[in-house]
Amino acid sequence: MTPLVEMIDIERHFGGVHAVDGVSIDLYPGEVVGVLGHNGAGKSCLMRILSGAMEPSAGKIRIRGEDARLDSPHQARELGIETIYQTLALADHLDAPANLFLGRELRTRWGNLDDRRMLEEARKVLSRLNPNFRNLGDPVSRLSGGQRQVIAIARAIYFDVKVLIMDEPTAALGPAETAMVGELIKQLRQEGIGIFLVSHDLHDVFDLCDRVVIMNRGHKVGSHRIEEVTKDDVLSLIIKGALPDDWRPRNAGAVQ
Amino acid sequence: MAAADSTFLSIKGPGSINGEAFHKLSALATLALLVGAFAFGNSAFLSVNNGLTLLLQTSVIGLLGIGMTMVIITGGIDLSVGSVLALSGTVAGLLVKAGVPVPVAMTVAVGVGAVCGLINGLVITRMRITPFVATLGMMMIARGTALQLTGAAPISQLGEAFGWLGNGALFRMVEKMPNGLSKVVFPGIPYPAILLLIVAVGAAYLLRRRRLGRHIYAVGSNEEAARLSGVNVERTKIAAYVMSGALAGLAGNVLMSRLVTAQPNEGVMYELDAIASAVIGGASLMGGVGGVSGTMIGAFIIGVLRNGLNMAGVSAFIQQIIIGFVVILAVFIDQLRSRR
Repeated sequence: MTPLVEMIDIERHFGGVHAVDGVSIDLYPGEVVGVLGHNGAGKSCLMRILSGAMEPSAGKIRIRGEDARLDSPHQARELGIETIYQTLALADHLDAPANLFLGRELRTRWGNLDDRRMLEEARKVLSRLNPNFRNLGDPVSRLSGGQRQVIAIARAIYFDVKVLIMDEPTAALGPAETAMVGELIKQLRQEGIGIFLVSHDLHDVFDLCDRVVIMNRGHKVGSHRIEEVTKDDVLSLIIKGALPDDWRPRNAGAVQ
Repeated sequence: MAAADSTFLSIKGPGSINGEAFHKLSALATLALLVGAFAFGNSAFLSVNNGLTLLLQTSVIGLLGIGMTMVIITGGIDLSVGSVLALSGTVAGLLVKAGVPVPVAMTVAVGVGAVCGLINGLVITRMRITPFVATLGMMMIARGTALQLTGAAPISQLGEAFGWLGNGALFRMVEKMPNGLSKVVFPGIPYPAILLLIVAVGAAYLLRRRRLGRHIYAVGSNEEAARLSGVNVERTKIAAYVMSGALAGLAGNVLMSRLVTAQPNEGVMYELDAIASAVIGGASLMGGVGGVSGTMIGAFIIGVLRNGLNMAGVSAFIQQIIIGFVVILAVFIDQLRSRR
């Protein structure tokens, strides 16, 4: 099977600092890959490169087997790569439909904004994620953290998403909303969408991911199927950049 | 389709909130209060003639204010509009003096304004100079160019056609008296006022119903979010400055035409009136908030204040002091509201 995403020998320097140093990572359809590491380990950098928000200093990216240039978020979205940013990236003064369709506004035959249709569509997709979602006409600055998160998620999945990057999607959420995000991830995986899940929450990662990639100081220090590692193994990789000395795969049959 | 389009001037729109409507209403109430007070003080204030004079006086600030509003919504500022107005007006005057037909000269003048705006936009987005500094530079460059081109001397005797835009009026009714003199029945609606109305409707349509307008709000609201959403932030900002420049050029035509003289010294500090109009009308210098209807109310508040205080015999210096207080008060009231 062709991987959805192949990032090969990606490097990103800031002056003399190697934020990402020769990292290769791939993602298959219907796969959830956890990307873990300390703050500053380079995981956000790597994901920003894939979402078109940052240019790599070197390296190659293939999307569905074809070489791709991701010079702007717009190009990445054209290729079906959607990102839910930790900051949510919402325009606070605009309402939910305007945010949902920002950069991809629906328009009438005359090129006018089709606010009515955008409102209808927004109502549909938002109520699927949260049946209690109201206040579609309010600027999103007035909404709760959970509602804002729902808008950011809706924006990523409404369009024809193939690859979803989720940067700490549950960091600002309560238990019910976190469960909702978990269900959503499972549902999207069923639909064959590949997901990179950047998270600090090991519980979530073990619950949702098929594979984990661990980064440390700009390097990839581990890539394991979730069955073959324990939380302690992953913590060791995150903190020390190496597996415990006495490590053996937990489930030898699943290796590679 | 038609039903959807008919709503573009209404208060309800993206980002327009109850608070924004409230601000607009309070600004409108202030305007009504001012008109009432001046009318009470001087019955001539409410005459048709004075009303039309007021329209005429406000149209220049209104045009500048509309362009300024677009720039302010993106989170920027355009300090160059007063100087660009002077440069465009003098270019129109020079061209007419050189034998170019008036409509062509005035079109070129608008183009000169747009080019100044384009330079502002490019300096801000490509050279990453803050809008305040970039447009401050353009303020001096445009003023200096206008003075250099004319040797600081006004260009007069531009002919009747040059004065048509600024002094003409629609539906002007003149009655011939039996004694041979003519009597003005209705002075007509001045062309500058009609121009202002057209521009205001066009700008409101652009901001509320077109994608560029939506992006202007988005860029001012959260530039990074707009960029990540695939909005072309640079192009959106440049478009706002180009429109502001072009409208300054248009305002230059109107003003110089009214005087039938191209004055390189005109328009000093007009940018501040334009900013004040936008801010009184509810635009936020932090970006993301503002609208054409609010700015129109703001422009008329300033216009009415000037006109009314003039009629009451208050000196220009005192007027300036009063308008200064009004600007601070308007922003203060707005902050009180949003702090709640």
